[in-house]
Amino acid sequence: MSTSTVPGNLQPAKQGPSSDGFGSRVLRRVLTDRVTLLAILIVALLVAFSALSAADRLNAPFNVSYLSTSLMSLVPVALLALAQMFVIMSGRSGIDLSVGGMVSLAAMLFGWLVGPQQWPVITAVVITLIAAMLMGLLNGYLVSYLGFPPLIATLASSYVFGSMAMLANDRAPFADERIAATNALTRRIELFGDVAVPAHVFTVLLPCILIAWLALAKSRWGKSLYAVGTNDVAAKYATQPVKATRASAYVAAGLLSGVAAIVNVAQFASARPDAGTAGNGMALPAITIAVLGGVAIAGGLGRVGGTALAALLITWLNAAILISFQGSMGPRVQLLALGLVLLGAVLLNSYANRRYGLAE
Amino acid sequence: MSTVTQEKAPRPVPRLRRTPIIEGQEAVLIAVLVIVGVLLAVFTDTFMTSANIQTVLYTVAPIAIIGVGMTAVMVTAGIDVSVGSQMAIAMVVVGKLLRDTDLGWFPALVVAVVVGSILGIINGLLIVVGRIHPMIITFGTLNVYRYVALQIFGDQQVSGVPDDLGFIGGSVQAVTFGIPNALLLAMALMVIMWAYMRQWAGGRHLYAIGGDPGAARLTGIQVNRKLISVYVLIGVLVGIASLVQVGSGGLIQQNVGIGLELQVIAACVIGGTSVLGGRGTVFGTLLGALLVGTVSSAVTHLGWPNELTNLFVGIFIIVAVGIDLVRQKRRTKL
Repeated sequence: MSTSTVPGNLQPAKQGPSSDGFGSRVLRRVLTDRVTLLAILIVALLVAFSALSAADRLNAPFNVSYLSTSLMSLVPVALLALAQMFVIMSGRSGIDLSVGGMVSLAAMLFGWLVGPQQWPVITAVVITLIAAMLMGLLNGYLVSYLGFPPLIATLASSYVFGSMAMLANDRAPFADERIAATNALTRRIELFGDVAVPAHVFTVLLPCILIAWLALAKSRWGKSLYAVGTNDVAAKYATQPVKATRASAYVAAGLLSGVAAIVNVAQFASARPDAGTAGNGMALPAITIAVLGGVAIAGGLGRVGGTALAALLITWLNAAILISFQGSMGPRVQLLALGLVLLGAVLLNSYANRRYGLAE
Repeated sequence: MSTVTQEKAPRPVPRLRRTPIIEGQEAVLIAVLVIVGVLLAVFTDTFMTSANIQTVLYTVAPIAIIGVGMTAVMVTAGIDVSVGSQMAIAMVVVGKLLRDTDLGWFPALVVAVVVGSILGIINGLLIVVGRIHPMIITFGTLNVYRYVALQIFGDQQVSGVPDDLGFIGGSVQAVTFGIPNALLLAMALMVIMWAYMRQWAGGRHLYAIGGDPGAARLTGIQVNRKLISVYVLIGVLVGIASLVQVGSGGLIQQNVGIGLELQVIAACVIGGTSVLGGRGTVFGTLLGALLVGTVSSAVTHLGWPNELTNLFVGIFIIVAVGIDLVRQKRRTKL
């Protein structure tokens, strides 16, 4: 939302009420800069639930130890939210409903290579990531080169990937000692006291976030993606490779889904055919988080920092809800919270756009 | 903006731009359906039995009914992915009403329609007021509505629902002239909607909004009111479809309707409706739903794993939209 990562010539001039007073400057910053808003929300969440925890109103203590353990579920969510970010930013109502299907199929491929095929894990990782990129390329080709609406192309491919994953081992998961050994990837690293952070937060998630940030904010490709997402006709006249750039956003989403698949296999010590499609699937929460992170559904706007913070907010919010309610109420309230947060975020976006005259 | 009167008195559009009753894609779909049917009749001896055909037609009915509404929504360049959660709410409300009171089916119908229209109004208002892409709004309400449904369910599924709605259910008795009553209901709704969208100004306005909402507004169409009305329509149709789904009663599980939106969208898209708006017919949607239902049944009768159905549906979507894209390109070249 801020202009720092957007080339100035792509960002429409900000016009709106002149912001003299300190209060209105703060308000404007909170409404227009998503990272600020999310940071405030995270702090508010932490303060509120720490207070509840201190008053002994929760089922379990809400402390640093609990928060660091709950980062386990941050990793796949954040990876797929970054995947959605690239795709949505690429414009032409970009969206990727197939991330769940890609995660399932890539997980089954990884499990098959490591388990029955006895391949070295490193080779299996490389092959899985390449395969996931090819799945993304299928989406990208359909959308960018053949002109399919992204919603339809990825709906169809999610059916295809999801059912191929189910058929891969006749609905059964792959699980043996070699696959179980990958669980070491997600072991917890004790930092201090009883605070243990899952290792793949450092070995997988942070590098991915860093690379995504470098690619989006610092590389030619990132600038090209912003340009294509904002206005592809203008980008074409500015000699940008529109089709290749847009397709590559889907390939990046495939790659990130592949990483999420490997993490999923390691975390559960087995390759499940419904890894990414169980329940409501992984696509929906990922889209929600990307939008919450300030990615504009019309394309061309989005930041890695916003998406990562939004993933953190949702992860901790879910963790807080889980210890606030008994039994099956927790997951239910998580659904409600996800829906309300998404609606709140987009309505806020829409309001801020109108108030400050930003491009939608 | 003095065009409200025009809205109130819909009249047939001039004969200028009449489209053929059956378009290319629909003819292709009919051909594919016939071919699949003949192949199945030859290669299995269980598919072409009246009992099986009736089962297929009954399972297609709810998707076709909701598809009628989804077609209207998609023609306005919108989408409603919350239909599965809406159906869960309508089904649990209707199920509990039938089980815990002895009011019978008519109050259940009224309640289902009212519940559906309330959910639809919420979607429509959020979309119009927020000026946000319908997909994002309905993604949000999908989660919220699912929460509401689970809350109404309470701790467990609803069991022991009586068969007050059995006449549109899936049993052998609920059949007229060999066709399940549920599908007859779907076809009746389809004919009404088909006539509205094809013959009446109000229906043509939907296409105008999908083609270019700005231009539609300038010609005096009440775009916002029209948009809210299509989301109310799909809500009402979800209510009716949930009556069919409750049907003969029995058990209503907490996970009803999960993934329904994708099936309905698939039926619409295979039937030739464009997600970009401005094109699509309810007749095509019915054919799309029939094709998906037939393939699903075929996979079962051929003894193949059920998951192959989704593979075929995915490929059908790509082929159907691909053909449509080619035709569109040819049209714009002229």
